[in-house]
Amino acid sequence: MMKKLSIITVLSAAVVIVSCSDVKRTPGNIYMPDMAYSRAYETYADHSNLAEKGIHYTAMPVAGTISREEEMPFHLTKDAPGDSTNYVASKLVKNPIDSLSAKDEAEAERLYLVNCGICHGAKLNGNGPLYKDGNGPYAAKPATLVGDAKYEAMPEGQMFYSVAYGKNMMGSYASQMSRKQRWMVIRYIKDQQAKAKSTATAAPAAAAVTK
Amino acid sequence: MISFRRFAKTCLTGTILFLSFSLGTTANAQDGKTLFQTNCAACHAVHKKSTGPALTGVEDRWTDKAKLHAWIKNSAAVLKSGDKYANDLYLEYNKTAMPAFSSLSDGDIDAILAYIKSVPAPGAAAPGAAVAAAPAAEGDNTLLFGILTLILAVVALILLQVNANLKKLSDEREGFAPVEPVPFWRNKAYIAFVTVILFIVGGYLTSKGAMALGRSKDYQPVQPIYYSHKVHAGVNQINCQYCHTGVYQGKQATIPSVNVCMNCHMNINEYKGEKLYDEEGKEVDGTAEIKKLYKYAGFEEGKPWDATQAKPIEWARIHNLPDHVYFNHSQHVKAGQVACQTCHGEIQKMDEVKQFSDLSMGWCVNCHRETKVQFKDNGFYSIYEKYHQDLKSGKIDSTKGITVEKIGGTECQKCHY
Repeated sequence: MMKKLSIITVLSAAVVIVSCSDVKRTPGNIYMPDMAYSRAYETYADHSNLAEKGIHYTAMPVAGTISREEEMPFHLTKDAPGDSTNYVASKLVKNPIDSLSAKDEAEAERLYLVNCGICHGAKLNGNGPLYKDGNGPYAAKPATLVGDAKYEAMPEGQMFYSVAYGKNMMGSYASQMSRKQRWMVIRYIKDQQAKAKSTATAAPAAAAVTK
Repeated sequence: MISFRRFAKTCLTGTILFLSFSLGTTANAQDGKTLFQTNCAACHAVHKKSTGPALTGVEDRWTDKAKLHAWIKNSAAVLKSGDKYANDLYLEYNKTAMPAFSSLSDGDIDAILAYIKSVPAPGAAAPGAAVAAAPAAEGDNTLLFGILTLILAVVALILLQVNANLKKLSDEREGFAPVEPVPFWRNKAYIAFVTVILFIVGGYLTSKGAMALGRSKDYQPVQPIYYSHKVHAGVNQINCQYCHTGVYQGKQATIPSVNVCMNCHMNINEYKGEKLYDEEGKEVDGTAEIKKLYKYAGFEEGKPWDATQAKPIEWARIHNLPDHVYFNHSQHVKAGQVACQTCHGEIQKMDEVKQFSDLSMGWCVNCHRETKVQFKDNGFYSIYEKYHQDLKSGKIDSTKGITVEKIGGTECQKCHY
């Protein structure tokens, strides 16, 4: 009798265990945890108690150092709310990148599409998937980078200021793109603006020639 | 000749004048929406605070229509004149100056105001549209099969009993001495059968469990904020690398910090898309989840955000390789040009992300054996000159190409060191 009972409990327990695991909310067990979990501190591990242990570690680079192939720092700081001194001053800052090679242009385009295109549109028309003519979730109209005289005349330094510190509803992109990448994207935008302008003026000129 | 040229010139100037005039009149022809989108929408929404105030009812807020026109054309002048409402507004919006729109005519402004009036409040718009289909009941046939098996087993047992009874009856009729019946738990055939079954099932479960140790395929933890990858990467088409910036640059794909969320959520403060459900089938309030983000960010709506007040969100890590194996994202995504979905599954369709692959060594090695290296126009692999030559001369079939294994992708030290 005991045997029968035990067999029945084991079987029903097995059925219950097999049928319950629908959503897996726990990661499961580890074989040899000392090999699986790092003894050293890894990215995203909790670093908060290092100082208590007498370890003084900072994840930031040493102040004043510039990583390889990175552009020089932008010397203007962010304006206090209501102030626009540095925003105006940024007009005078020159883009260190004068022209893009074909390879760099492809990279700049990729960076633009990843980081900017979502709002400003793949065609730089200020109508990305988040805005969608005002039907998307983003309520503010993103800047029309090609086709708006204001942004076509905007100096590159001022664009850099806005990308680095944010402007109006746009946030700072300093954590997503390095200085060099930001300058590359701005060069790319300026190139696209020039391209649109030259085709716009070329088309009537061509039409005039055929006349 | 000269007169002809002059004639052409007058014609040309005439058409230009006419065109510009007609364009001017069409702009006045109540095309408020376009005017609104080109001039105002960068800072103002109709029913929602943005950089500037929500514009619905703006005409009621200003005492004088002429003053509102003056404000739009040159806000700085109105501020200087000492108008109280204007100055209060300026302070309320953190001294953000509204640029002067001197190019707008009175007709243009009226067109914009008419457009603002014509936009219905979002709550009033089509209540029926919000009805979304409840998540479809999963086509799960396991229960049905279980019941069927049970019924068949019972039928088989009954038949066996009937068979035994019939045999007993016929034995009695034939006059055989009744054999002492052996109970089934002492029947050798039964015991052998059950043992074999137990051995097979037990062995299967044991080896399966042992293999699952240290692997967390399908792991789907509850995150501190219900963040739907489906809404972000699927519906709104945000590129994976917008948030996971590091994937092109280093070992970690990087989990975005709060400021990356706030790039968009400074403006997007409510969720209006399709209904969201968690894995247990409970409905999730998207707007409440955005408010959770604001709590982490230390952001109060309508005030400028101080990023230094933000606290990191402690997301539960899903994909984790053991310490004794090295994996680098940039090597796979940038040099190898592997799509995210190859290893992570269709993330853009997952509300709650789960681990798609088991991340076992067999899985890694299998992919390294089968995957062709993107040799073409890829500077990263330019050092493999012999392979490049062999590919060119046709010694290696270019359709088969070079697998990762051929360039040492299955060597132990590639990942374990």
